[in-house]
Amino acid sequence: MQIKVKCSCGEGNCPEWAIVELQGVVEAQPAVQDRLQNLEIGVLCRSSSQGNYTFTVGYHELTGSKVPLKKPMLVLKKIKLLGANEKTESESSRVELEVIGIIRHRILFKARPKALISSSHPNVKERMGAPGFLVPNE
Amino acid sequence: MEQPLFCHRRGAEAVLTLQPNTSISIAYHPRFGPHDDLILLELDEKLIPDILHERVTLRGQPDEDAVLCTQLKTYAVKFVGTSNSVFLIPPSDQSVSHEKPLDCDEKDHDKMVIASVIKVAPGSMELIEVAPRLDKLKLLLSENPYGADEVIEVEDLEGMEKINTGLYRWDDLIERVQASDEELRSGLRALSAVEIDGYWRIVDEKYMDGILNMLFHNLILNDWSYNALNEDEVVGVLELDGYPRKVACHCLQVYASKVDGVASGSCLWKLDEKRVCLHFARGILRGGKKKMESFMEEWIRKVPEGMQVNFNMLEGEVLIEKLGIESWVYAFSVSSLPSTPADRFSILFRERQKWEWKDLHPYIRDLSVPGLSSDGLLLKYTRRTQPTLDAEPVFSAR
Repeated sequence: MQIKVKCSCGEGNCPEWAIVELQGVVEAQPAVQDRLQNLEIGVLCRSSSQGNYTFTVGYHELTGSKVPLKKPMLVLKKIKLLGANEKTESESSRVELEVIGIIRHRILFKARPKALISSSHPNVKERMGAPGFLVPNE
Repeated sequence: MEQPLFCHRRGAEAVLTLQPNTSISIAYHPRFGPHDDLILLELDEKLIPDILHERVTLRGQPDEDAVLCTQLKTYAVKFVGTSNSVFLIPPSDQSVSHEKPLDCDEKDHDKMVIASVIKVAPGSMELIEVAPRLDKLKLLLSENPYGADEVIEVEDLEGMEKINTGLYRWDDLIERVQASDEELRSGLRALSAVEIDGYWRIVDEKYMDGILNMLFHNLILNDWSYNALNEDEVVGVLELDGYPRKVACHCLQVYASKVDGVASGSCLWKLDEKRVCLHFARGILRGGKKKMESFMEEWIRKVPEGMQVNFNMLEGEVLIEKLGIESWVYAFSVSSLPSTPADRFSILFRERQKWEWKDLHPYIRDLSVPGLSSDGLLLKYTRRTQPTLDAEPVFSAR
């Protein structure tokens, strides 16, 4: 069988997506684990010097930079096509992949996070029940 | 009044064009979730135009590993996981901006720009160039070779539907064979397949024997020249004998080559001595192995007058076995062997434990693995020994 890879972007017009990548896992407090939508993860800042970036999640501050990807990545969406008489997905429904974006850069954070001792850091916006705290990968 | 910048953008562009000394909030998208239907595919820049112009497909049966095919090449698709948290941020959704742009001051935290994460990607797909998987093509086309039965069937079953088992059109082959269009065409050429009534067929060997015999019979009868066969005459005569035109033309294409630079009129063809002699040799050995002397005698006798046999014509097609003082020759054709290196070497070493280079070479020179040279192949799949410096190196299984 064949799965067609389609693209309605047109050459050079593929919307560019972004990636923020951390070595570690962001965990939400149990109270909000099931309702993550719209909650803030952290604040991303670009410093003035040499384009360094900081990402502050809870009381951890990460330092990183914007890095071009060695090879670009495409964002594909799997689409199940229903036949004319099918009302539900079945084994015989055909699948297509649609290109919906391209990624050429990521903001990569790979240094060990710095724990912020003081809770009132100028770049961190205090919010009610700040939901995230960072658990770094060892 | 200063132009408001980056107010309430909620997307990738806010992240990618973040100015020095500014900040944005990264939050979970209102529709954040697993989104298993979103896949990341890493690929070389040079493949991007093919994908954007919709010239790429994934091919394979549900029980096979998927491959991605451009028009020319085939790539295996592998998922590579990551233990990092990869936050995927889409561009802002222009259709969903309910708020009017507000005047916004960078220091005004209540109106900080938010970029939203739609998904945390578990990893991405990578492509590895691979050789096309053409063994299946031979298997499929061998289900129903075109032969004498076929022709009789058509004549006897007038008005009845021909039973279409083991018959494949181009579109059927594309669905089943994991190869690019170009590689599939090349594979069909390598099998000397012919398209008849829209179906791709391999011609049965015995049937081909019959056609060739008829051709040679007429060649002698009409005093035709091997080097200047007139296409219309040849095909005409074969058609009169009951061979379909398509098959007659195919016969010329397999056993002869077109003569260039002929003035207008019918095409001229020149018989390929090697291909013709090989055909007769294979016919002789179809019944089993033969003593070298008997084989050579029969071969010289059967080959059309004027053609010279040469044992070198049979490299990659026959093997010699020494039993006592006698040499026996038997058919062992490279075209009957699998095309994947591991399987190929496995069968070769099962046939014979040790091989000298001159015998081995014809049986592996058609192997192609992207990224692996022929020396690399030998290194990977064989053990090379050389008893003395003067002796021929010998290859055996690893």
